[in-house]
Amino acid sequence: MSDKRKRRRPDPDSDSDTRPFKHLLKPDTTILSSLRTLASSSAAASSSKTLTLSDLRLSAACREVSDLPPSAVQSAIESLAVSLARSILSGQGFSFTVPSRSSANQLYVPELDRIVLKDKTSLRPYSSVSTVRKTTITTRILHLIHQLCLKNIHVTKRDLFYTDVKLFQDQTQSDAVLDDVSCIVGCTRSSLNVVAAEKGVVVGRLIFSDNGDMIDCTKMGMGGKAIPPNIDRVGDMKSDALFILLVEKDAAYMRLAEDRFYNRFPCIIVTAKGQPDVATRLFLRKMKMELKLPVLALVDSDPYGLKILSVYGCGSKNMSYDSANLTTPDIKWLGIRPSDLDKYKIPEQCRLPMTEQDIKTGKDLLEEDFVKKNPGWVEELNLMVKSKQKAEIQALSSFGFQYLSEVYLPLKLQQRDWL
Amino acid sequence: METGGSSESPVETKKPKSKTPRKPKESALKQKSPAEFFAENKNIAGFDNPGKSLYTTVRELVENALDSAESISELPVVEITIEEIGKSKFNSMIGLIDRERIDEALYDDFETAKAREKRLAKEARVQEIQAKNAALGKKVKEQVAIKAIKGRGEASFYRVTCKDNGKGMPHDDIPNMFGRVLSGTKYGLKQTRGKFGLGAKMALIWSKMSTGLPIEISSSMKGQNYVSFCRLDIDIHRNIPHIHLHEKRDNKERCHGAEIQVVIEGNWTTYRSKILHYMRQMAVITPYAQFLFSFVSDTSDKNVSIKFARRTDIMPPVPLETKYHPSAVDLLLIKRLIAETSKQNLLQLLQHEFVNIGKAYAERLIGEMGPDFSPKMLVKSLTSQQLVRIHQLFRQAKFDDPSGDCLSPAGEYNLRLGIIKELHPDMVATYSGSAQVFEGHPFIVEAGVSVGGKDVKQGLNIFRFANRIPLLFEQGADVVTRTALKRINWNSYKINQTQDKIGVFVSIVSTKIPFKGTGKEYIGDDISEIASAVKVGLSILKNFSRLLEIYRLTALRLQTSIQQCCIQLKSKIVKKIQAREQQERKRNLSKYIPDATNAIYEVLKEMTHLHASKKRRYEDKDAELLSKVSARLITKDTLREKLAQHVEQVDYEMALEYATQSGVKEEPRENIYLQLLEAEKDFIDFHGPVFVFRLFQ
Repeated sequence: MSDKRKRRRPDPDSDSDTRPFKHLLKPDTTILSSLRTLASSSAAASSSKTLTLSDLRLSAACREVSDLPPSAVQSAIESLAVSLARSILSGQGFSFTVPSRSSANQLYVPELDRIVLKDKTSLRPYSSVSTVRKTTITTRILHLIHQLCLKNIHVTKRDLFYTDVKLFQDQTQSDAVLDDVSCIVGCTRSSLNVVAAEKGVVVGRLIFSDNGDMIDCTKMGMGGKAIPPNIDRVGDMKSDALFILLVEKDAAYMRLAEDRFYNRFPCIIVTAKGQPDVATRLFLRKMKMELKLPVLALVDSDPYGLKILSVYGCGSKNMSYDSANLTTPDIKWLGIRPSDLDKYKIPEQCRLPMTEQDIKTGKDLLEEDFVKKNPGWVEELNLMVKSKQKAEIQALSSFGFQYLSEVYLPLKLQQRDWL
Repeated sequence: METGGSSESPVETKKPKSKTPRKPKESALKQKSPAEFFAENKNIAGFDNPGKSLYTTVRELVENALDSAESISELPVVEITIEEIGKSKFNSMIGLIDRERIDEALYDDFETAKAREKRLAKEARVQEIQAKNAALGKKVKEQVAIKAIKGRGEASFYRVTCKDNGKGMPHDDIPNMFGRVLSGTKYGLKQTRGKFGLGAKMALIWSKMSTGLPIEISSSMKGQNYVSFCRLDIDIHRNIPHIHLHEKRDNKERCHGAEIQVVIEGNWTTYRSKILHYMRQMAVITPYAQFLFSFVSDTSDKNVSIKFARRTDIMPPVPLETKYHPSAVDLLLIKRLIAETSKQNLLQLLQHEFVNIGKAYAERLIGEMGPDFSPKMLVKSLTSQQLVRIHQLFRQAKFDDPSGDCLSPAGEYNLRLGIIKELHPDMVATYSGSAQVFEGHPFIVEAGVSVGGKDVKQGLNIFRFANRIPLLFEQGADVVTRTALKRINWNSYKINQTQDKIGVFVSIVSTKIPFKGTGKEYIGDDISEIASAVKVGLSILKNFSRLLEIYRLTALRLQTSIQQCCIQLKSKIVKKIQAREQQERKRNLSKYIPDATNAIYEVLKEMTHLHASKKRRYEDKDAELLSKVSARLITKDTLREKLAQHVEQVDYEMALEYATQSGVKEEPRENIYLQLLEAEKDFIDFHGPVFVFRLFQ
């Protein structure tokens, strides 16, 4: 990187533009060519066949779910219902065998670079005070899913909750059981015909079809296109982008969309506005798999930023049973990294001290396998925990609102500064 | 009310006007009496506004009453009455004729024509809405009467009366005890309730400022055949009592105690809850006292009358007066001790005026002070430099910690009883720590945690006590609050911080807890000059921060105390949860039967439809079941019954298991206290270690 700096050419704007590091920027064509090499190497790398769990022959048995057609889900529920009815009629009450989704039952597989679920299960009997509620909710959800499959319609999690508010009491309960049901039936959550409300948005050099309509994401205005909840209706992805930019926050996304960053450097910009939902994760994976583009992530420089990054990359513990479909391999951490705070001289007043909780989360993350496998990440995280400082993407606004899109990101790309 | 050695009760105060107060020579420099200082800065004594003044007056009188009764080991009975006095009644009391308003527009609350128009329109609108609601058959709650606009100067007045069964006061001392600020004899080092060096006098100053009416005291001591009656007010500028009437009356009932009556401006509406809270918390920390609180006004629906009954007859011992610990004194205090001591030489001074300095240790200390000190040197001859040297050495030398013997904590037993008595909690645990030391002052922390109860709101309810008086104000910043909120993980004790009704009680007793307001240790009884008055003000501020410091130090202690209580509670709670589960198991299990069976049945029914229409093929075994469903051999009710049977069986098995596990043992019951029907004692108790022999006369 240092020799690159030596080769920098005088910038005619450097006198008028006082923004730091602006003078380091080379013309866009140079940056673009470096991006092109990245894109082609990424395409070459991902052309090799992706590993699956069965290829590995792990010692511990693991549980994975697959996409099932509605009829298969339906018959699975039906045979379950018959067995439950038999059990009741024989005077035994009834119980479910639910795969455990606790953190003790999770396994990080480095070869796959994602979290998978081990095969521990727990019994959920009706006739126990501690599980009676959950068991009842599970039967109720099974019934509702059965109806959905029968009619082959999609509803949102909220819809599902409102069908029996009195029993479910609050949505977290019905949502949790929904994941249990996925595990019991052995299908992905989308196969249950239940989707989450739209949360993620995408903008940039992407054309795809949503339920038959062609969508051009460069012509979606400033807000971009909401990522459709039913990934099975998305297809025909086409793009001339060189990379996908994953943004943690809505604010940074808006800045980039308004500045039409994707026209200067052809890219696709995606955000899930915080913790990613299933639809965004599925969409990102689909883009990566079909377009074979490198994914660069722009997250806050705090433990939660890295956590969000890890959810895209390795999956969440809550939905590890479906990590095969939800994770996007090989996401690069572009920024804002703890080392950037000093490198880009972000002023003290824009940095925040980490709370005790933050530091604890940071230290916990250092213990996680998916962080450990990347020495660069460990180094950055160590630096964060040691300096006890965090900064949001917005901290860059201290150099002007457009610093992010006009200086920081181009410079980062030019220096190929990602991990 | 203490009278111990009232050396300062000059008889000449009976005609105070004839005597000019001792004043330094006349000059441009103006001087203020302590009474004036406190009249101007009455907020530091808790008289910030009329409402707070009413509250502070009540608490000062109650605390005095308790102290008075405890000093003669009498179980306190305190009656406190607040009587609302209307404006016309007040005017007639002070002999002012009620005047009708002639020039209406002169007054602040005069309603202009425009305002009236507005008001009438609003009232009409309200009526319209009401009529509409009534027509729709909606039940409307009683419309709150539109508040009369209260003009400026429309003050409310209250007569506060406090009656106790305490020691009473010597006839001749009464004027000085009430009419002279910063006079008193209890300035020694001792755990005391608080502000009473100033309190009753501040109430008098406030009454003089707000109503101009005098204070009335009647008091009788044990064995006196008369009642002293005194009506007086205070000459604020000279800080001397101004006596209206001082006489001895017949004591027909032969009772002892004091009754104090003062008329002040106040605000019952806004401070009602504070006053009631105070009374309730006082009842918690002093379960051996009986309180009668009543509020009387013209409108009878506002009247309040509460009796806080006695729950025990065991009183904590009277706190002992102790000597200063060498590490607790400052330069000023050393000077004062030297001025007051009867000891002649330095050795005796060290040995007798401080705790934890023996003769041998005193000699070592004097040796350490330097060559110009000797054991036999006269204390009066010590120079200020030498005093500084002594002070320095006191700071640096090592002394044994003072013992907590001089303290009188409420006691675990009393705290527990108080909590049970006033809150009726489902569970209670108490803990008493051992004595700790801060800057030479011993302190003891006691804590209690309760769960459930009546009139307790959900979440944390914090009750703080310092030297056995409740602290009500500025709770948020308090370390007790913070400890309970942040440093205790209630969940680990199976207590739900937001749902359960948790009571946290923390009582700290010490020889020095400076209250916000007035710290009595620092107010010397010789203070009569302005310079000192200002110093008092400063030391008050200093004391407040000191209080926080003590709290900070005790925070850890508090945490362990509260945790101890929680640990006690946890086992109880677990047992209780089990017992409750026991009771509710069947109900809970049965509750969900319809939901669960309906869901399963619905799926089966769908299947039979599919089966019948041949849309789907099922295995033979399944098909058999489905045909039973379609033949209505298996219905919703069959499933329901079968599941109910199963629940019944499970419940029976678990009940059996519970019974064998827990046995028939039940929780130990609390002892109850039966109040004596007749308070009169006509027996003598002989206490032995294992028995009490009661001799009836």
